[in-house]
Amino acid sequence: MNRDLKHYRRINWKNESKLLPGYLLMVLWLMFTVVLIGWIFAASFSTTKEIFKGQALQFPTGLHFENYEKAWTSQNVSTFFFNSLFYASVSSVILILVAAPAAYAISRFKFFLNRPLQSSFVAAMGVPVTMIILPLFGIVSDLQLLKQDVTIRLLLIFLYVGINVPYATIFLLTFFTNLSRSYEEAAAIDGCPPVRTFWQVMLPLAQPGVVTVSIFNFINVWNEYFISLIFASGDKTRPVAVGLYSMINSMRYTGDWAGMFAAVIIVFLPTFLMYIFLSEKIIAGVTGGGVKG
Amino acid sequence: MKKNKAAIAIFITPALLFFLVIFAYPILRTLVMSFFRVESVTAPLASWAPVGIDNYLKLYNTELFRTSMWNLFRIWAIGGIVVMSLALLFAVVLNSGIRFKKFFRAVIYLPNVISAVALATMWLQYVFNTRYGLLTNFFKWLGWQSLASIQWTAPEYMFYSLLFAYCFGMVGYHMLIFSSGIEKIPQDIYEASTIDGASKPQQFRFVTMPLLRGVIKTNITMWSITSVSFFVWSQLFSTVTASNQTITPMVYMYLQVFGAGNVITERNAGLGAAVGVIMAVCVVAVFLLVNVVIKRDDFEY
Repeated sequence: MNRDLKHYRRINWKNESKLLPGYLLMVLWLMFTVVLIGWIFAASFSTTKEIFKGQALQFPTGLHFENYEKAWTSQNVSTFFFNSLFYASVSSVILILVAAPAAYAISRFKFFLNRPLQSSFVAAMGVPVTMIILPLFGIVSDLQLLKQDVTIRLLLIFLYVGINVPYATIFLLTFFTNLSRSYEEAAAIDGCPPVRTFWQVMLPLAQPGVVTVSIFNFINVWNEYFISLIFASGDKTRPVAVGLYSMINSMRYTGDWAGMFAAVIIVFLPTFLMYIFLSEKIIAGVTGGGVKG
Repeated sequence: MKKNKAAIAIFITPALLFFLVIFAYPILRTLVMSFFRVESVTAPLASWAPVGIDNYLKLYNTELFRTSMWNLFRIWAIGGIVVMSLALLFAVVLNSGIRFKKFFRAVIYLPNVISAVALATMWLQYVFNTRYGLLTNFFKWLGWQSLASIQWTAPEYMFYSLLFAYCFGMVGYHMLIFSSGIEKIPQDIYEASTIDGASKPQQFRFVTMPLLRGVIKTNITMWSITSVSFFVWSQLFSTVTASNQTITPMVYMYLQVFGAGNVITERNAGLGAAVGVIMAVCVVAVFLLVNVVIKRDDFEY
């Protein structure tokens, strides 16, 4: 990158000198981020002894892949990993099935609930989880849902979908609003009923929005902490964030720092890889939504 | 038309049901619950004892809760100033015509896609570690012994270490919102002001800032919403026994209702509900305040 910088400077020295502080700032921030994540990555292949000697980057005894093996099998990270994978992917699919029709109806039809629904969803995006968690817990334990792993799993998916419905609906609303009405008119002339028109014509047309919401939701659910802390208390149903936390706590007693860093990397990697390939989509998810004051 | 009515019902019913079950009903119930003495979260409605605003008064008289509110305020105010300034600065730099804009933007946003538990562990176990940590080694390398020997996670520095690490992760999100606001400002306004002889700082002050009003409102509101849910970082930076340095209202509520109860002895879920209501009121208050202070502008893109 440095070479590119000089190259640029040679071409337009005046322009470049003006932008130099900006570049400097960006590069400093970049370096810090790289060091932060890079060191953790290196330490996850090192040993606890070497980490404490400050030799995490030198690998005097080679790369220790067994840190990952240990974290994956004996520390239950594999269970947490597949739990999160399950929660995140299933909830993303259901979220679309729930939010897309609602967004479509709000964008297309006039009905008495239209405006109230929109403003309620926008308001719900600002409701702190502390405001809803106690009654939810009450209902859930009344229904005896916390006794079996299966019901806990279904419950978590239900909650993840429900909490994200307002955001997803408002986000998809802008996509459907921007689609031309001529598609539906054509479908109606051909005798296609509205519900079928939606699934077969309109939803595929809103695909970019659907993809963005799904990715965004996947990452949110993957990283979710508080709800799973309350509802998924058992080892078998825990997702990665809570699992990692409990592991870190137990690490105090086992003293396996290298294994802990390996676990951190395992939790970090899926969303990181998604981000590398889909960063533009994810960024669109932040800025494209209805987050206007 | 009849056909449409049926279709509308089919389309909105699932979302509406989710909204009623997850948001509407719990919000009302929490609100009611905050005026009752409730033995435990699972206690049936019949056993609730009305206490008026007693729960709120009790919270007000609890020192740990007041500390948690003070911490939240500091996180919101100090962290807010730091995050908003950095986010705005980065957004301006990214849109100043530098190369690799998309790459830098992606790097700055990166912490937001990482699990907060993983990110906080990275800071806690690496950056702030005094044996092999980044800060200690960095200051040693510079030869600043006094800074190198600071125990970053000792009680007296804990709060600011926590806040600093948290801000690092939050800048990206707000930078994106600022950046999208700046991108929407038409380039010809800048060209016109350049012709009129405005310097870059003047352009920022008189063109960019006024046109970003709506975006600033969004940013402050979003920052407040995330602030009241400050939880993971606090839990990670202190042990389960809730250190006064890092406790926030949400942590307090968690300990009060679900917790091990070694700090807070009284079992009363109504207190927890009151904390929830206070948090919601804080968000609404900030939202209203921001809307009064920053007037809506017709000239906005």
